[in-house]
Amino acid sequence: MTLLTGLRDWIAGFLGEFLATWLLGAALIMTFLAFNVLFLVLAERKLAGHFQRRVGPMEVGPHGSLQSIADMIKLLGKQILTPVATDRFVYLLAPLMVFLPTLCVASLIPLTGAEAFANQPYGLLVIIALSGVTVLSIFMAGWSSNNKYAVLGGMRSVSQVIAYEIPVLLAALSVVMIAQTTNLRQIVEAQANTHWYVLYQPIAALLFFIGITAETNRAPFDIPEAESELVGGFHTEYSGMRFAMFFFAEYTNMLVLGALGATLFLGGWLGPWLPGPVWLLLKTYAVIFVLIWVRWTFPRLRFDQLMSFAWKLLIPVALLNLVITAILVHGVG
Amino acid sequence: MGYLRRFATGAWSLVVGLKVTANHLFRRRVTLFYPHELPDASHWGGPIELVTFPATGTHDCIACNACVRVCPSDCFTVEGKRPEGAKKMRATKFLIDFSTCSLCGLCIDVCPTDTLQYSQRYDEAFYTRNETFNDLLAPFGEDPTFAGKPT
Repeated sequence: MTLLTGLRDWIAGFLGEFLATWLLGAALIMTFLAFNVLFLVLAERKLAGHFQRRVGPMEVGPHGSLQSIADMIKLLGKQILTPVATDRFVYLLAPLMVFLPTLCVASLIPLTGAEAFANQPYGLLVIIALSGVTVLSIFMAGWSSNNKYAVLGGMRSVSQVIAYEIPVLLAALSVVMIAQTTNLRQIVEAQANTHWYVLYQPIAALLFFIGITAETNRAPFDIPEAESELVGGFHTEYSGMRFAMFFFAEYTNMLVLGALGATLFLGGWLGPWLPGPVWLLLKTYAVIFVLIWVRWTFPRLRFDQLMSFAWKLLIPVALLNLVITAILVHGVG
Repeated sequence: MGYLRRFATGAWSLVVGLKVTANHLFRRRVTLFYPHELPDASHWGGPIELVTFPATGTHDCIACNACVRVCPSDCFTVEGKRPEGAKKMRATKFLIDFSTCSLCGLCIDVCPTDTLQYSQRYDEAFYTRNETFNDLLAPFGEDPTFAGKPT
């Protein structure tokens, strides 16, 4: 920490206090997210292997631990192709825009109980609003690629995210009703006084989990990039580092939404012995582990099944849960 | 009621699925690390080869052409001649076109001197068509029978 403040003061000598903090914070978060993606890609492949009694990558480094670094170097070295007749400006903008929302959201999750850290009064609303923006760049990618598979993937992504944001929002709302605040820090602090909200709101927690599975485009809800139907979906025409950007965004999104789930339902940074950020990370990776587990267990849903699951089951249940929560919160006090 | 029951069975099937994959997570791997670990090929019937008899240290092919006649896909080319002073013929050329061989094993059954067998080779890969011709006499080198030293 003293090293960080020293570094900040040194940069502040050139740019001023505000810019120095801003720059250093952004650099720190970006670095962490980049390493997190490398780790998650490896974890996904190793776990996928072990769920099928295989072993996953084994050759690069001990037990394949350097595999994703090798992959990253390969992707960096690849030629970046731009197909003819694309909507060039939008095509180039989409991969740059796709991880901006997740980056913003990542900086809004409270890591510790320290005062003034991610202390946004409307933090939850900002996060939910921003995570809906990701789908815009996915659709930009699909539309501008001049490819029928990409357009289909983009359109599917839009309709899926619109459908599944509602249960996520309603599930988060029932937590807000109990905690009486949309400030994520205060939500966690409210859980310190009682229990984790997953005990009070098991249905909301389940709905939230299903919702974030769909929002991160992961199996069984990965129809926007269904390989067997759509080649690669919205990122069919992207290669090299532009493709890696989408990959980066997808895995970062997993981390961010997992962290949001841990904050809302699993008590965020709360926990004995270990420091707060470590607890938050542990809980986040637990959520991500379940995400990976689900991905390598269930087959992909058909598009109409996906839609009717959201509109006919998840949203009514979420509404019912919200009403019951409202009555209970009002009645109990 | 029917809807609820369908929902319950569906949800339960998801839990069962998760249990199955979770069990697999802790079970022993089935992967063989191929170049580092070699498979057990003792029951494997690979490309046909000539038996090396321990007593003589060589094969016992008498070029009777029984395998040539029985082979359903005509993959044998066998030639032989009689060494001076010997009673039995001796093969001088024994080729199998592995690209047409179906490993049916009829030649092994029909061989009067039991000098054909399945090998335990499993990694046959070729770059040219000529390489698919297996010269079965090649591993035995120069045949001492024809070098003026009758056995």
